Amino acid sequence: MTTAVTIPRHGGTGGRTAVAARARQVVKAYGSGETRVVALDHVDVDIMRGQFTAIMGPSGSGKSTLMHCLAGLDTVTSGEIHLDDTEITRLKDKKLTRLRRDRIGFIFQAFNLLPTLSALENITLPMDIAGRKPDAAWLNRIVETVGLADRLGHRPTQLSGGQQQRVAVARALAARPDIIFGDEPTGNLDSRAGAEILGFLRRSVDELGQTIVMVTHDPVAASYADRVLYLADGRIVDEMLDPTAEQVLDRMKDFDARGRTS
Amino acid sequence: MTVLKTSLRNFLAHKGRMALSAVAVLLSVAFVSGTLVFTDTMNTTFDKLFAATAADVTVSPESAEAEDETPQSGRPETLPASLLTKVEKARGVKSAEGGVVSMSVTVVDADNKNMGSSNGAPTIAGNWTRGELRTMEITSGHAPRGPTDVMVDADTAEKHKLRIGDELRTIAVTGDFTARISGIASFKVTNPGAAVVYFDTATAQRELLGRTGEFTHIAVTAAAGVSHEQLKTNVAAVAAGPYKFQTQAEAADAGREDVGGFLDVMKYAMLGFAGIAVLVGIFLIVNTFSMLVAQRTREIGLMRAIGSSRRQVNRSVLIEALFLGLVGSVAGVGAGVGLAVGLMELMSSMGMNLSTSDLTVKWTTPVIGLVLGVVVTVLAAYIPARRAGKVSPMAALRDAGTPADGRAGLVRGVIGLVLTGAGGAALWTATRADEATEGSMWLGLGVVLSLIGFIVVGPLLAGGVVRVLSAVVLRVFGPVGKLAELNALRNPRRTGATGAALMIGLALVACLSVVGSSMVASATEELDKSVGADFIVQSTNGPIVPQAQQALEKAPGIAHVTEYKGVKATLTAPDGTSTDDEWLVAADPTYAQDLRRETVAGELAAAYGKDAMSVGETYADKHGVKVGDTMTVAFRGGGTAKLRVAAVTSDDTNVDKGAMYMAIGTAERYFTPERMPKNMMMFAEAEEGKEKEAYQDLKDALAAYPQYRVLDQTDFKQDLKDQVGQLLNIVYGLLALAIIVAVLGVVNTLALSVVERTREIGLMRAIGLSRRQLRRMIRLESVVIALFGALLGLGLGMGWGTAAQQLLALEGLGVLDIPWPTILYVFVGSAFVGLVAALVPAFRAGRMNVLNAIATE
Repeated sequence: MTTAVTIPRHGGTGGRTAVAARARQVVKAYGSGETRVVALDHVDVDIMRGQFTAIMGPSGSGKSTLMHCLAGLDTVTSGEIHLDDTEITRLKDKKLTRLRRDRIGFIFQAFNLLPTLSALENITLPMDIAGRKPDAAWLNRIVETVGLADRLGHRPTQLSGGQQQRVAVARALAARPDIIFGDEPTGNLDSRAGAEILGFLRRSVDELGQTIVMVTHDPVAASYADRVLYLADGRIVDEMLDPTAEQVLDRMKDFDARGRTS
Repeated sequence: MTVLKTSLRNFLAHKGRMALSAVAVLLSVAFVSGTLVFTDTMNTTFDKLFAATAADVTVSPESAEAEDETPQSGRPETLPASLLTKVEKARGVKSAEGGVVSMSVTVVDADNKNMGSSNGAPTIAGNWTRGELRTMEITSGHAPRGPTDVMVDADTAEKHKLRIGDELRTIAVTGDFTARISGIASFKVTNPGAAVVYFDTATAQRELLGRTGEFTHIAVTAAAGVSHEQLKTNVAAVAAGPYKFQTQAEAADAGREDVGGFLDVMKYAMLGFAGIAVLVGIFLIVNTFSMLVAQRTREIGLMRAIGSSRRQVNRSVLIEALFLGLVGSVAGVGAGVGLAVGLMELMSSMGMNLSTSDLTVKWTTPVIGLVLGVVVTVLAAYIPARRAGKVSPMAALRDAGTPADGRAGLVRGVIGLVLTGAGGAALWTATRADEATEGSMWLGLGVVLSLIGFIVVGPLLAGGVVRVLSAVVLRVFGPVGKLAELNALRNPRRTGATGAALMIGLALVACLSVVGSSMVASATEELDKSVGADFIVQSTNGPIVPQAQQALEKAPGIAHVTEYKGVKATLTAPDGTSTDDEWLVAADPTYAQDLRRETVAGELAAAYGKDAMSVGETYADKHGVKVGDTMTVAFRGGGTAKLRVAAVTSDDTNVDKGAMYMAIGTAERYFTPERMPKNMMMFAEAEEGKEKEAYQDLKDALAAYPQYRVLDQTDFKQDLKDQVGQLLNIVYGLLALAIIVAVLGVVNTLALSVVERTREIGLMRAIGLSRRQLRRMIRLESVVIALFGALLGLGLGMGWGTAAQQLLALEGLGVLDIPWPTILYVFVGSAFVGLVAALVPAFRAGRMNVLNAIATE
């Protein structure tokens, strides 16, 4: 498939089947001895480039931990994680920071923006930190896509929750990262604002060829994804391609029922 | 009860955040209580010393001057030895001894090195009597037995590595004489630094008084069962005459009065500086509580939602402040005692031996410390506490965990500007004042108003000043600099208060440096204008002895030498008004060349004629004295003269202002040779073109007399500069405390704002801000806050200093000299201080775990 705008690093060479991130036998455990809690239990997963992946699972299933580890925010106890061809599990803080800055985008559930900076300054912040000049044409396109053109000079406190998340999406897209990680990006929004954000994410995958990984517990949100991974007790227990909200909900009910009977 | 419990839990939960506030309270309280303990201990030491040195009853000449004042004649007042026989026969006398003591001596070793103290304590020479055993014991060798024996105190011996058999030369007004050390005696009481030498009685009389048959005092010991008062009455009855009788208690009181004045000045000066530190500490405490309240907005909202009243919330914050004040002050009082001990060690190392066994902690000291610490802390927390009370219950429901920005209001700006304006006007009025007393009131008012004005308006200024500073300093650092700037601007009230704390100390530094350097510049100008003498001979210990004077006069290459004597007298003007204790100058007529003085009437040269004198303009105006009038001059220690006023000198000068001159020959007619004052100073003029040689010759002539110094004009100016510099350094040292507290305030603000911005920092780290960049951001924020405080402080201080100089121009401080290098050092130093203040907060921010930071509520 050809995308309207090519991704500079891997544009053209990577296709839908190329792997953007790969986890092998990843274990994440907290504490030791009797108090040891295993959050991730030998997880193997491939994140496909140019795909929208949703990670679902009940509270405490390890879905957020998995995302944090993939994004280089958290360390693993054992196992390996590759981002493209870089093994990130052995990187020191300095290199990890640079990796996050240059190759990863983040959208958190809340508090995505620095209150002292305007919307535009927030969007270009990762590039400013890196000392790079944003590509003006690209920036314009993203700003238009998320519909913020007339709000760029505003401070976060002057924006609604939905608008703030749109700024966060724009920031994540602006630096053209390899992967964008979203941690329940719509968790704090009403359904209309949430749908808007998810729409942008979907379009950035379809039109810009962006790779996105999103943790969510909302079946409707998950239905925007190309692929849904189900986590339970630190393991990937199921996977669904091209899901609908009903399918996701049914599958979740299934797990719930199984959880109760077992 | 629950309020108390919540407060206590909050206090303990946030003890880390309170730590720096506690340190600020601790430092201030420690300085106050340390000062009190130290001065009380000094008092105890001197009390003990005076009580121990005084005999049961002491008889001394009535006219003897106060003990700390070395007589201008260089020879102590005496009483006849025959009086001793009379005293011995009085009822109730167990024993009586004739004493000889002179403090107008200098003792030097074989290398002409002065054995005396350099800290102002006297050199005391006297005769060794049994009475001395009250305070001294001979620890090696033996007491002086003949004209070649001298005994020295152990402290001096140790300091100058003196051994038995070493030669010591004693320079007295009656001549020099050399003796060998026969023994060394140690003090049984604390010696505050005096150097003491003993001779046998005959030697002491001959060498210190010039003749035998006289004593300077008689020490009487009471027989068993006779009270000191009783003994005094008995002795006074048999030894009637021009004598003074003092019991031990009275002598100790007299001694205490002399020292007490000095100690009080020192005490209040130090307390003043402690007060400045307390003021600065208030800013720190206000900031801490403001930030704690802001961070706890939701929590407080919840408390209000579930039914706490405003007063309860308000009170709970105040109770926390009370805990803080208590903890800080208790530790502070303890630290104060430590500080006092440290000061005593310091004094000991400078030759003033204070013993820790005299350490005096009065019960008032901890009470003052505790009350001060607690009251100041609670007062400082009052405004934040009120703000906490105003938090609406809705705050609990709002999502925003971060506090709203504290915006500086319009009202505040108006009040601040009005105060600053009024302060400026008062300072302006001070510069225009015609009278020093009135002017200094305006100056004081102006300083206080402009300071308060700046503090109030500070948050408003913060915006503009920080932007300008950032444009100059931070732009270099790119986006990180920009982030730092925005952080500093985020809460102008906080930045303003933090900067204001630093401002206070630095304003004082700037003001004093302007006044100090104007002082030097004015004096230098004055010296250039009026001093004609090539050389000035100064004494560091008593008047110039005749043998040194003769050595000077014999130096080759000298055109003339001028004698200069200070004479104390009671003056009576023709209108009948009389003034006591006036200092008159008796000098050689050449003095008129050495120091050029303008006259408003008459000729100065005529004032050096027989039985003539000159008076100053101010005195002449005040007492209606004209040229040709006759003044009645009753000389202290001499006769009464009728002197004709031959000239009135202008007082538009800084040197010898108001001095009254007469010829030495005139004064001599009214004094016995023994009582005639010796030279206070001398001046010398080199022969044309021989200045360099003459300077060296004069120095050589005085080589044997280390207590005198020859200075040429360059040295004299440098000396003046050094003296002012030294004084300023002491003041800066004391102001350092206030500045340290202000720096703690910067650390505190940064540390708390790092805590407050945990999530933000987590976010920035997540999206790629490196640790290094993060640390730099915090450091730059700190630098900007410090520079903001420095800019305000230096500006304000220079304003004060200029106003003070303009006012002091009335007193001869005519030249304004702003010490730009000092100002620049302080400014650059402040940036450095900002860097240091940010070290720990930046380190802690850098160490933060990204995930935990993001997850923080």
